[in-house]
Amino acid sequence: MNRLLLTAFALALGALSLAASDPFSKTADDVNTRTVKLFGSGGFRGVANYGTGVIVSPDGHILTLASQMLDTSELIVHLYDGRRLKATVVATEPELDVALLKVKIEGKKPDEPTGLDLPFFDVPAAAKRPLSTPGDWVLAHANEFEIAMRDEPVSVQRGVIASYSKLSGRKGIFDFGFTGNVYVVDAITNNPGAGGGALTDRQGRLLGLVGRELRNSLTETWINYAVPIGASVEFRDGDKVTAVSIPEFVASAMAGKYKTRPRTVATAGPGGYHGIVFVPNVLERTPPYVEECEPNSPAAKAGLRPNDLVSFVDGEPVVSIKAFTDVLRKARPGATVRLEVRRGDVLQAVEIKLEDAPKPAVAPKK
Amino acid sequence: MPLRYLTPCLLALGALAVVGLGAEVEKSVTVAEAQRIAVIDRVRPAVVAVCFYGGEACGSGVLIDAEGYALTNFHVVQPTGSVLQCGLPDGLLYDAVVVGIDKVGDVALVKLLPRVPGKPFAFVPLADSDLVRSGDWSLAMGNPFGLSLDFTPTVTFGLVSGVNRYQPPEGKGTLEYTDCIQVDTSINPGNSGGPLFNLKGELIGINGRGSFEKRGRVNSGVGYAISINQIKNFLGHLYAGLDTDHATLGASVATETEDGDLSVMVVKQILDESDAARRGVKSGDQLVNFAGRALTSTNQYKNILGVFPKEWRLPLSYRRGNDTKEVLVRLMGNIDAQVEKPTADKPVPGRPAPKGDGGPKRPGLDKSPAKKFFVEKKGFANYYFNKLRQDKLKTAVAKTGDFTPLAGPWAIDGTIELSDRRGDFKLTLVDGADGLTEAKIVRNGIEDLVKPLKSNAPLGELQLPQGSGGLLSALYLYRKLLTQWDGGFEIGFDHGGHEPLYPPQLAAKPDGKPAERLKDSRVDCEVIRGKHGPFEAKFYYALSDQTLLGCEVTVSKDEEPCELYFGDYKPVDGRSLPHRIEVRSGDKRYAVLTVKTYTLGKKAS
Repeated sequence: MNRLLLTAFALALGALSLAASDPFSKTADDVNTRTVKLFGSGGFRGVANYGTGVIVSPDGHILTLASQMLDTSELIVHLYDGRRLKATVVATEPELDVALLKVKIEGKKPDEPTGLDLPFFDVPAAAKRPLSTPGDWVLAHANEFEIAMRDEPVSVQRGVIASYSKLSGRKGIFDFGFTGNVYVVDAITNNPGAGGGALTDRQGRLLGLVGRELRNSLTETWINYAVPIGASVEFRDGDKVTAVSIPEFVASAMAGKYKTRPRTVATAGPGGYHGIVFVPNVLERTPPYVEECEPNSPAAKAGLRPNDLVSFVDGEPVVSIKAFTDVLRKARPGATVRLEVRRGDVLQAVEIKLEDAPKPAVAPKK
Repeated sequence: MPLRYLTPCLLALGALAVVGLGAEVEKSVTVAEAQRIAVIDRVRPAVVAVCFYGGEACGSGVLIDAEGYALTNFHVVQPTGSVLQCGLPDGLLYDAVVVGIDKVGDVALVKLLPRVPGKPFAFVPLADSDLVRSGDWSLAMGNPFGLSLDFTPTVTFGLVSGVNRYQPPEGKGTLEYTDCIQVDTSINPGNSGGPLFNLKGELIGINGRGSFEKRGRVNSGVGYAISINQIKNFLGHLYAGLDTDHATLGASVATETEDGDLSVMVVKQILDESDAARRGVKSGDQLVNFAGRALTSTNQYKNILGVFPKEWRLPLSYRRGNDTKEVLVRLMGNIDAQVEKPTADKPVPGRPAPKGDGGPKRPGLDKSPAKKFFVEKKGFANYYFNKLRQDKLKTAVAKTGDFTPLAGPWAIDGTIELSDRRGDFKLTLVDGADGLTEAKIVRNGIEDLVKPLKSNAPLGELQLPQGSGGLLSALYLYRKLLTQWDGGFEIGFDHGGHEPLYPPQLAAKPDGKPAERLKDSRVDCEVIRGKHGPFEAKFYYALSDQTLLGCEVTVSKDEEPCELYFGDYKPVDGRSLPHRIEVRSGDKRYAVLTVKTYTLGKKAS
């Protein structure tokens, strides 16, 4: 009797367990048909010349990261079924860190239909779905380490959303241009070539694009993140502040209307003007002591004084003049940064509204 | 036994109770967890911590039979040397010895010695890894970072990220991972050689490698396991103590055009001496299918080729114009004659750098009881196990009758069916007064006579009758094998592991051509290799019942061998003998001999 009962239980359990222990092979196969392997420029100094993209129209539009890999006239796409095609960059939006490509068919003009009928991700629909929350299971599908060629499927990895937050203030070994919220993932998804791959939920619905290889400059640990498919950023376009989201970018670029701007100085340039003059930067880690403030500069207006020690910028500790400069480089004119400075024995909060650099330009103090 | 089955159920019940209280976790989740735990409990006793002699951790492994044979990586036993020790989750160290190695495939078979003689080991079943799909769950077990001092394995759990992956060689042509399984399951140094399981607890692969770059040589979310189906192809070789080699087709193959559509694999160059060339493959031919798998990319080509040992014969389909042809191709060896000497100090992926130089100088090593299970011989990982397999086969074959007294004159009568005519034949094998054996066949009034060991015998004579590839020489060797076993092959005699044989009569069409789909006639066999005089012979015994199904005799490496296929076994004076012998050479059938009588004489004393 006892044994019978146990058997019955075991049977019932067997049936139940199917859902939780189901493999993701179907999801992996399905997402793979909507994913492409990209081959472009690079291949030196740890910069991959390969990457991943997701197909966003049956006609062969591909969404991927705005990486250096695209800087080539010979961009090659391998489809899931092994077809090898050429592609061109339609538009790039560095603020979103994305680019839209289109497959090029020999003998057809760029704006002509390609005649392809590819499986694709519906970006507007994906962007309308609610955001994933920390704790959700996700799958990353990407051609990391250039493992796959031709009809070989991209790699699939499983992880959990660790947080949904901004990564600003952290510096990778490559430029990190995206300042919006990202999905931080607990799995090691951001390997070479994985950028532009699909982050999906368990059903294979698109959540975002796998991001770049990124290292935390404080802990020297690598961080894995994805740009959400509905991501939206604000940026200054001339005098006005414009907002653009990935779905808007994709729709506009597909219609041939998106104007690719040259990449702004935002990530690599001097950043917004603050007017702080630090003590001479003679050490590897010279502490950011204020020597003086330029007259009428944002720093002067905010009341910063000589001998103030800048300790935090937007909540992030800055231990050196170099660290301060690195952080400020990403803040644009018009933005407000919150500093915490040590004056005597107390920490003081000071808000500085950055401005355009006065002309003639004042070189940022090193 | 009942306990074993009850445990998972009890665990599951426990999980249910938890659900009842918490009522927050979905039932299916806790059930899946309980099942996972049950599987881990079941396979854990078979997980091996591979150690240097003395117990210093070196890598991982897994037991695959009750006698104590365990799989690991070649790069794990490379630094330990042939005599080592292995820890099991019972907390004890076992003496162990390397049995067989596959340097290219990075696989080694070791044998653990039971601490109580005859006591069976726990082991795990082998899965069919062709059924593994990307997105499947997997469990890796082993001893990463040498963490476990009591040999309790670490378990990691994750997804299969890809299958049929190709990872190029790391050494000079060695440690090439073909057709392997990629996982996001954590694989770290020390996991090397350990098992990768599916959720049924079946072995799907042996973990051994990862993709590393900027993040250092620790798990970066991309680990690789050698598929168990590849290892199965080599397992017969490994059990036979061989130092095995992988294969090449003897042709360079590339995608036809870089641009455009689906890739077409085309032969760019082909070696004249390759078997593929002899089978009619030419440069420019499109390769369609190899060993039952479609060829779609260079990686795929390397994948398919990489899972087979050298000298295996496998079906290859190629297209020229509108014609597609299937041929049986013998694979060539992969490693050049001079392979790099294994070095202990070379950094290899997935294992902690060995302290010291491993094996020989470890204190107490000379006293290891495993030492008597190691016999060094060139071309073998451990000749002790080759002899063991020879002896096992010899014992099994002895059931078909004792031929040793029948070393006198042999006469075989029957009918012969040639391509254009049929008639009676009479075959004799007689030891002459000069000490040389004389083999003679008479059919349709034509006589051919060979003295296989006659000095300066021209090649053409050894290959008589013309077109047979050397029927008389082959039968001469057949008689030597039956009557003398290893004593008849003074240059070399060993167990050659496992190879497939394709007896044409099993699926032959009426016109005598081989089966249309060669795989349908495939029989896996144990192989005995013998060298005698100018001849090299291979004898094929069915794995299932040790029946001698065929032999292949090479008179000269530049010529097609003579193949004999034995069938229709009937008892003759209490001994089992074949009454149908098909003779083939190259792509052609030379003849079928139907035997009426055997007259096997005793050796005159």
